[in-house]
Amino acid sequence: MRKIIIFSSIFFCMLFITIFASGQDLLIKNGTILTVTNGTIQKGDILIVGGIIKKIGKDIEAPEGMKIIDASGKYVIPGIIDSHTHIALSAGNESSEAITPEVRVRDVLNAEDPSIYTALTGGVTMVHTMHGSGNPIGGQNIVLKMKWGRPAEEIIVNEAYRTLKFALGENPKRSNFFTPVVRYPQSRMGVNAIIRREFMKAKNYMEQWERYEKAKNSKKSSILLIPPRKDLRMEALADMFRGKMIARCHAYRADEILEFIKLSKELGFKVVCFEHASEAFKIAKELEEEEIGISVFLDNWAYKVEAYDGIAYNAGYCTKKGVLVSLNSDSSERIRRLFNDAAKAMKYGGLSEEAALKLITINPALQLGTEKIAGSLEVGKHGDIAIFNEHPLSAYTRCDVTIIEGEIYFDRAQYLKEREEMEKKKAEEEKKKRGGKK
Amino acid sequence: MKKKVIIFTALLILISLFVFSQEKSPKFTAIKGATIIPVVGEDIPEGIILIKDNMIEAVGKDITIPSEAKIIDAQGLFVYPGMIDALCYIGLAEIGSLRSTVDYRETGRINPQLRTVEALRPDSVHIPIARANGITAALVAPSGSLITGQSGLIKLFGWTPDEMVIKSPVAMHIEFPRIPRRRREREARPLEDSSKQIEELKKILNDVRYYGKGKQAAQKRLLLSHPDFDESLESLLPVVKSELPVMISVHADKDIKAAIKFVKEEKLKAIFFGVEQAWRVAEDLGKAGIPVIFGPLYDMPQKWEDGYDGIFRNPVVLHKAGVKFAFSSRSSTLAKDLPYHASKAAAFGLDRKEALKAVTIYPAEIFGVDKIMGSLERGKVANIVLADGDILEQRTNIKRVFIDGKEMDLSNKYTELLEKFKKRN
Amino acid sequence: MKVNKCFSFIICISILFIFLSISSSARVGPTYAIVNCKIIPVSAPEIPKGVIIIRDGLIESLGPSEVISIPEDAEVIEAEGLTAYPGLIDAHTSLFIELPKKETVQTTGSPLISQEKESGRYPDVMVFKVLKPKKSKIESFHKIGVTTVLVAQEKGIYTGQSVLLNLNGDEKEKMVIKNPFALHISFSTAKGVYPASVMGTMALLRQSFLDAEHYNTYKSFFIKAGKGIKRPEYNPFLEALVPFTQDKKPIVFNCKNQEDIKRALGLIKEFKLNALLSGANEAWRVAEYLKKAEIPLLVSLDFKPPYSSIYVNQGEELKKKAEKEIYPANASNLHKSGVKFALTSYGLTTADKFLGNIQNALKAGLPKEEALKALTIHPAQYLGVGNLIGSLEPGKIANVILVSGEIFEDKSRVEKVFVDGVLFKMKKPPQKAKAAALNIAGKWTGTVSGPMGELETTVEFEQEGNKIIGTISSNFGIWEITEGILSGEELDFTFIAKIMDETVEMTFSGKVEKDLIEGTVDFPGGSAELQLKKAPENSF
Repeated sequence: MRKIIIFSSIFFCMLFITIFASGQDLLIKNGTILTVTNGTIQKGDILIVGGIIKKIGKDIEAPEGMKIIDASGKYVIPGIIDSHTHIALSAGNESSEAITPEVRVRDVLNAEDPSIYTALTGGVTMVHTMHGSGNPIGGQNIVLKMKWGRPAEEIIVNEAYRTLKFALGENPKRSNFFTPVVRYPQSRMGVNAIIRREFMKAKNYMEQWERYEKAKNSKKSSILLIPPRKDLRMEALADMFRGKMIARCHAYRADEILEFIKLSKELGFKVVCFEHASEAFKIAKELEEEEIGISVFLDNWAYKVEAYDGIAYNAGYCTKKGVLVSLNSDSSERIRRLFNDAAKAMKYGGLSEEAALKLITINPALQLGTEKIAGSLEVGKHGDIAIFNEHPLSAYTRCDVTIIEGEIYFDRAQYLKEREEMEKKKAEEEKKKRGGKK
Repeated sequence: MKKKVIIFTALLILISLFVFSQEKSPKFTAIKGATIIPVVGEDIPEGIILIKDNMIEAVGKDITIPSEAKIIDAQGLFVYPGMIDALCYIGLAEIGSLRSTVDYRETGRINPQLRTVEALRPDSVHIPIARANGITAALVAPSGSLITGQSGLIKLFGWTPDEMVIKSPVAMHIEFPRIPRRRREREARPLEDSSKQIEELKKILNDVRYYGKGKQAAQKRLLLSHPDFDESLESLLPVVKSELPVMISVHADKDIKAAIKFVKEEKLKAIFFGVEQAWRVAEDLGKAGIPVIFGPLYDMPQKWEDGYDGIFRNPVVLHKAGVKFAFSSRSSTLAKDLPYHASKAAAFGLDRKEALKAVTIYPAEIFGVDKIMGSLERGKVANIVLADGDILEQRTNIKRVFIDGKEMDLSNKYTELLEKFKKRN
Repeated sequence: MKVNKCFSFIICISILFIFLSISSSARVGPTYAIVNCKIIPVSAPEIPKGVIIIRDGLIESLGPSEVISIPEDAEVIEAEGLTAYPGLIDAHTSLFIELPKKETVQTTGSPLISQEKESGRYPDVMVFKVLKPKKSKIESFHKIGVTTVLVAQEKGIYTGQSVLLNLNGDEKEKMVIKNPFALHISFSTAKGVYPASVMGTMALLRQSFLDAEHYNTYKSFFIKAGKGIKRPEYNPFLEALVPFTQDKKPIVFNCKNQEDIKRALGLIKEFKLNALLSGANEAWRVAEYLKKAEIPLLVSLDFKPPYSSIYVNQGEELKKKAEKEIYPANASNLHKSGVKFALTSYGLTTADKFLGNIQNALKAGLPKEEALKALTIHPAQYLGVGNLIGSLEPGKIANVILVSGEIFEDKSRVEKVFVDGVLFKMKKPPQKAKAAALNIAGKWTGTVSGPMGELETTVEFEQEGNKIIGTISSNFGIWEITEGILSGEELDFTFIAKIMDETVEMTFSGKVEKDLIEGTVDFPGGSAELQLKKAPENSF
């Protein structure tokens, strides 16, 4: 294992800027393995070769020299996936205009955002990091792995869906902010109207190009053909029409969710998931029929009017009604306790342990289009794993190790060891200082 | 003449007493078969808890249950005392973004005259939700800058504010500046410490003392001019007399040290709140004997140097240093999450029993109400929670809740909305 | 009122700067023969003892003393003990640029609501037109051996077109080597209009490159067709872009951090641009990419870590370390990775800091000969003037500096500077910390007077040996004095003024006489006089 420690002289920082190589080999032994999709294996082993899970079972022999983690008495689960965050970015919203599908959060990745480390400490290995909710049509989102210490381009998950952020309700209306200028739209009517307008424009734009291409290919025309202007904003929406990109829509109220579904059908683009969806329980039937998921807070609510019906039963109830539900953090703090939120879905909604765990593993993976590589412990998937000291749905649990592609990115034991060494060293230094003064 | 009046009054009292006791013969309720976790003392498997009216009459194994008692079979359940949220805004704030529903902060820096219990809304949707999760009492506190007002301890049941109030005021609240956090690519604001605030407070307390002395002197000697009424100084009189503790919201290690010095010099009774970096000065806190109330553990450490688990290990370190503490939700919408802050600390090394105490008996002790609440003991008010598991676990369901011996209706906005829309299909 | 005026004078460093007293101008001087000096031509081996003949602004010849004969008409300059180097090139500065006047907006009510609008799109701004050469600045650059600078503006996303100047006097027309040199682009944002975020900026850049292409195509179609096509609408913004995006004149991307470098590399690849990268004080972190891309690199010697850096997010200790040790090693790390680069003062406020940070980079492991190349031949090549400057060769422009001792060293100093063959003699040896002649600790009061008014000020000094610290206070706040030194009777100090949200570095230099301190406060783009009198004891 190539483990370069930069600036070992800076003792304190040593803990946190360790760089690892990718696609490692690793054997996890004797853990209680919660596979999420294939039940629980007591005292089981997981073999990861080249970053990929090769074997799950009992008594797997480690090839010579392979790194082994002893997970006796511990719980091994797939790395947690957060379907809605804004971490690892150096910008949040392109707030200057209401319609900005041309902007891409991939252009403002910041792999040095400490929130990545925070995510790891909560067992999170993959996140969907999104444009903010200030615009009816925001920007293009991205899926990242929490490879702390790696450059931005290496943490992008290319297998994931390309998604575009939409937002309805109070935020695009700018209801709760002071803004220097009054911006259209200021009502839910306006939000829908402006989305419709832009898609119609995009349709027109596509037609222009089609006509141009046709004319160019027909040998009859001898006139000089001027190509239409290439417009990135329209191109992004055209990609929605082409099905190359799908919508993730920030929405709280049941009515606006239904209206947006209608709008997406009218215009002809696909919406895969509603964000927050506080009132989804009111329309679980429609969501189930349309096969549209929701990505919600378990119980964060009543921070604004449109979240006032955001009951804690939402996730559990919708799950039971057949809606694909994931729990998100939307925060660089909540991200480290998504497993606590999942446990609450057992109390509020009566989900089984397995169903509760799915809310933070395979369900978000399905919503992100990364279910082939993540979201459960299965042979062939990436070795993205979190190890907990207690059952991950216990209130007394703690993430001890977080692994991405067979590589350990967070190890509490190591952290404690280094912290202790550092504290010792600091104490010694202070002693010296005091001694020197006397 | 006088005699007649006295006899008459005595008669009246006697009659009324008779009527009263006639109407209200004691009501007994017995909870049977559950594991009782009294918090103080050992757990009692398959124990009995006897409630007489609003009080706990007996807790134990061999208890004779009066024949008229209502019996609750709680086989397989666990009985806990109701939890106490040591600082929250429940009943004072409904919807965060809606200023018209938020009443726990006032404008201005010096507001000792404010009393949170006077803004309490018994009908808040957040109260039944917290109650349904086993929280039966809460300290409702003000927020703002510097002197923010007086908190009150309430029970989470009552039709009017007065019915809810257990004790008010409980403390005079003071807020020191927080460490500003870096946000995105903007540079952190320069660190502000509490020295200015302390200076300002010292001046005010000095004024209060003069004001108090002036009042006293004027009462004794008629010719002396009475100091002009001043609501701030007046409200602070109990503080300088050490009758009313101050609760100082203080965060950074340096500031905590300064605050310890401050309360010592001013001879104040004090409770600290927040104390995110207290683990750095645990010894000082332990020596000073000042109890603390943690803010929610669902929070980030103040600085990167605190380590990712700085907030979580704080209670562990303080416990070792002998500091008494309680947990709080510092919320209205999520006051129901109080137990999980305690179990979070337990996940990072705090003894589980201590964690439980820090949401029951410790807050009662800190607020001086441990004689009447905070544990399951004879003579205490019957605030009782029946759960199907560990009350600090998210997975656990709360089955029944008693406040003042009365069984609570556990329905709330969550359940009502859910039931309403269950009918849709 | 008075105060307000002065305030605006300090912050709005404006165009009012007309009374420059520089008299010397670019002229063709006499023919010079520099004799008996060590010659470091950079492009050729060192000549231990040689002669350089300068005629008509160019290097006529150079070589060992035995080989070169001294022309009759030459003015002989005895340079025994001195070393001749090519004049240094600072390939990215904002020298002579006065900060644009900030429109103070009357905000009623919430200060959060600002009506300020800045489009950030200034591709047609010619830096040449806005710059105002200033003698003192030129002198400060000569003092460290810099003869040539690339001047660019910083404000905006498209920040304008830079100009390459030879510091041969104060007439800007005579100074120009190349104008415009390049279009400069920063990954910053607009204010009040699109884009408000860097992701918007990226979209804007991509869209405007596409638009420039489309505009150009349309125009050429229009010309080709002769008639029958609607004439294209004139667009000054795109007009300004076309020479750079279509005709591939150079574009300089200002890169504040490693992500900016990646952004720039992506755009260069996508739009096939002829580009340079500047700033790049985090370049070592993406050395692999830079090596592959082979894009000319103008590395700033500003060692302040960018806000997004991992080194500023993990505690104060690391942040300090980063500025002192990690970032200064940028150049040396790049060199080790086999990446070539030029060094610039981009982001630094004074020439002295530039020299200081060159020294820091050397301390951090950059070989001296590499540093020299990075300030001579590399920038010359990158700026497309490798045939004119950057080394000592016959036929090249006579930018020559004579240094006592070795260049960049603390003890050595630049004695004479030739720019375009014009000789500039350095005034006096640099102030090297003499003992303080007197104690100035205590309170001083006085006034700052500039072209727009006066400002009452109080200064409190603390003194330890010849080191001075303290505070300077006025109606605008209390600012800390750092890096102060009282050398003999000469007092120099620096303070960072925070006015509104802007921080402005100001330097004072002047003299102390008993109870009087007099001197000049320099700030970016202007200066003011400061006079202080010792406050009587116990006065408040």
